[in-house]
Amino acid sequence: MSQGDTYMSFLSIDWTLVFMLCNTLILFLLMKKFFFKPVKKMIDSRQKEVENIYEEANKANSDAQNLKSEYEKHLAGAREEANEIVNLAQKRAQTRSDEIIKEAHDKSAAMIAKADEEIKLERTKVLNDVKSEISDMAVMIAQKVVEKDINFADHEKLIEQFIDGVGDTAWKE
Amino acid sequence: MNGIEINGPKIIWELPIFGGIPITETVVNSWLIMAIIFFTALWLAHDLKKIPSKRQVIAEKLVTMLYDLVEQTMGKRGFSFVPYIGTLFAFSLLSSLSGMFGLRAPTADYNTTLCWALVTFFLVQYQGIKNKGVGGWLHGFIEPMPLLLPLNLVGEIANPISLSFRHYGNIAAGLVITSLLYGGLSALTSIIFGGLQIPILQLGLPAILSIYFDVFTAALQAFIFCMLTMVFISGNFE
Repeated sequence: MSQGDTYMSFLSIDWTLVFMLCNTLILFLLMKKFFFKPVKKMIDSRQKEVENIYEEANKANSDAQNLKSEYEKHLAGAREEANEIVNLAQKRAQTRSDEIIKEAHDKSAAMIAKADEEIKLERTKVLNDVKSEISDMAVMIAQKVVEKDINFADHEKLIEQFIDGVGDTAWKE
Repeated sequence: MNGIEINGPKIIWELPIFGGIPITETVVNSWLIMAIIFFTALWLAHDLKKIPSKRQVIAEKLVTMLYDLVEQTMGKRGFSFVPYIGTLFAFSLLSSLSGMFGLRAPTADYNTTLCWALVTFFLVQYQGIKNKGVGGWLHGFIEPMPLLLPLNLVGEIANPISLSFRHYGNIAAGLVITSLLYGGLSALTSIIFGGLQIPILQLGLPAILSIYFDVFTAALQAFIFCMLTMVFISGNFE
């Protein structure tokens, strides 16, 4: 121990109490301002951020679920619609083909009828021609046979009458 | 052979006012400890980021532990006391531990522990007045019956006294025992090795004992002081 040092007594209450009070207060204020407050603030803000992130993640998840179910619904609807469209198209095609076939039938029937008519007309015409030829021939034959000049017009009239009155029925049979 | 001398704190300097105000070892050492605590805390807590560095994790862990401890003892209402409790704990612990580094521990000075005990005392009374009103606070001293007024008063005054003496006594006793031990061992060395001034026996044993007297006691007393402060304050929360 060096000489000259002075010591306080081992147990006393003195000015040191005041100094220590100031020291404690100063340290407390410094620690509060530079350590506890900023650190606590940081912890709290991080905590808040984490909570926000979780909340957002949950929200996004539920949104995605909603969208998914919606899309599934849409998809099912679209499939149904597609089926409907196909069915409709098939039906329409069926009707159309039926129509076409019917039209063709109708057309061919009409053509056949027309042809029939034409044939009939031709036949009548041919018959008429034959008739007139025969009548001419008859007149000529009669002339040759009778050798007598008869008024051609009168004879023709006569023969027509004859044919109309008699021959017609005979020709028709 | 040296005599064993156990003194109070050395006077470093004397302020020449009011007939001399002594600045003792306690005060100077506590300045050093304050500086260590403050700059450590500043280093731990500077440049705080959302994604923490290792040292920020340590700072946050310390603060979180402190908040948890305060919540367990005082409930959420005690959160405003966290900075004081934390400061008190660090100051007390490092003051006591400083004895291990050859400093005279500030907590081995009764003024230090009395100062903290008085702070606790006034915080407790302030809480009482704040939460119960002056009337309710005063009425608390005659509960459950007026006859118990002296007992209640003594009980209230006894708190800071027991608090301060418990802490001071433990650390000062550690100081005394350590000094005695060193003195004894040095004397024993001189006897065995014939006046040799090389500290041979002082090598191992004091270190082992110091684990108890310095480390364990320092931590325990800091913890007890803080716990009792919290318990006393929260006792006046209702």
